Amino acid sequence: MSGKVRWFGVVLGLLGLAAVLVLHWQVFFWVSTERTMGVVQRIFYIHVPAAWVGFMAFGIVAVCSAVYLWLKDERADMAAVAAAEGGMLFTAIVLLTGPLWAKVAWGIWWEWDLRLTLTLLLFFIYLGYFLVRRSTENLEKGKRFAAVVGIVGALDIPLIHLSVKWFRSIHPEPVVMNPDGPTLPGDMLATLFTGLAAFTFLFFSFFLFRYGLERTRHALAHRRTGRGGEALSEGMAS
Amino acid sequence: MDYLRQVVAIVWKDVAIELRTRERVASMGAFTILVGILFNFAIDPTVVDPAEIASGLIWMTIIFGGMLGLGRTFQLEEEDGAFEGVLLSPIPRDALYLGKVASNFILLMVVTALVFGVFALFFSLGLGEHPLALALVVLLGVLGFVAVGTLFAAISARTSMGDTLLPVLVFPLLIPVIIFGVTATSSLFRGLPVSEVDGNIRMLGAFALGALAAGAVLFRHVVED
Repeated sequence: MSGKVRWFGVVLGLLGLAAVLVLHWQVFFWVSTERTMGVVQRIFYIHVPAAWVGFMAFGIVAVCSAVYLWLKDERADMAAVAAAEGGMLFTAIVLLTGPLWAKVAWGIWWEWDLRLTLTLLLFFIYLGYFLVRRSTENLEKGKRFAAVVGIVGALDIPLIHLSVKWFRSIHPEPVVMNPDGPTLPGDMLATLFTGLAAFTFLFFSFFLFRYGLERTRHALAHRRTGRGGEALSEGMAS
Repeated sequence: MDYLRQVVAIVWKDVAIELRTRERVASMGAFTILVGILFNFAIDPTVVDPAEIASGLIWMTIIFGGMLGLGRTFQLEEEDGAFEGVLLSPIPRDALYLGKVASNFILLMVVTALVFGVFALFFSLGLGEHPLALALVVLLGVLGFVAVGTLFAAISARTSMGDTLLPVLVFPLLIPVIIFGVTATSSLFRGLPVSEVDGNIRMLGAFALGALAAGAVLFRHVVED
């Protein structure tokens, strides 16, 4: 079983790497340059897919956390932590590429805009998720606390979205998920989809490796106690 | 009816402790007055009119002062294992949570009244033309804040990081309270009609309700051992 997880991880990782190579070729040589923003717009093909993966990962964290609290199944917690680590990585990519673009396009590094603020807060909710996990003497307690953070964070995200939108927004409007259909020219859309595919593959590859690691750790702790089912049932009893 | 009695028992226990020790209310009260003094010197009145930024300052003072008290919600009971006794009593966990929220809410409303008093005194601010609408905004905003804060205070009290963890967990989640609360308060201070803040009040109410529901459901996963 463990071998299977790793095998899937390798396949997805290779697919992701291949797509990243294609993405770079498309971004640097193939796609046409945007008229008003110029070359700097090309960071969009990294920025938007990373944001998509970061938010999707948070959805996985929330669902797996809820399942963990409900069924007390260790596997749900392993999946949640694996998704949270990947999500934090991609959120960091969004937060790094955003200001690079904004400095050229808007003339400033940071603007308190809807999506920027939302992503920054998402990053901090992820941070809280890991801080809580690591600061309890009892591992099982840390998992439960982290699950609560993940669920409340996910419930709050729509409200944060509404409130920041209320506040103000200068971020470019969505060019793909737009009520009138995509407004992006064909080649740009194709490049964007390569990016989306690349980052989604990579994310799930990381996810599987991290999940496998967590399970190996669990099995190790399990054997160290040397008392058969003790370590596992500890997590399930309470 | 029984459920309500159980909630009231928790509230009464906490309020009685607070009335006898006056520990939290004293530190939070002193904190808000001192913050008022610090703001007075931190803001150059020749550059900005304090009345214009008062709504933001008031909310920040409530939040910071509130964190001070919320962090202590479970501290006293954690110290000598008294919380075990509370957990052993035949009170459902959600009633325990709602009771804790209610007692924190009472405490924080006292502090909030003090904040408004301090700002009225130091910056000569009134309550605007619609004190009732203002009260509703503050009540709902503080309720949402307390509902989130109490849940996470239970978490942070049981980690090794303690109070230092609480702001990291709570602040990102409070953005809706801050944005809707501050914009509504400043509109009311400027004398705009109540219909202007109608949407804000609804959003604050939705936040408070959602936070209470989520807290009541999730609290039992936090306190179980």
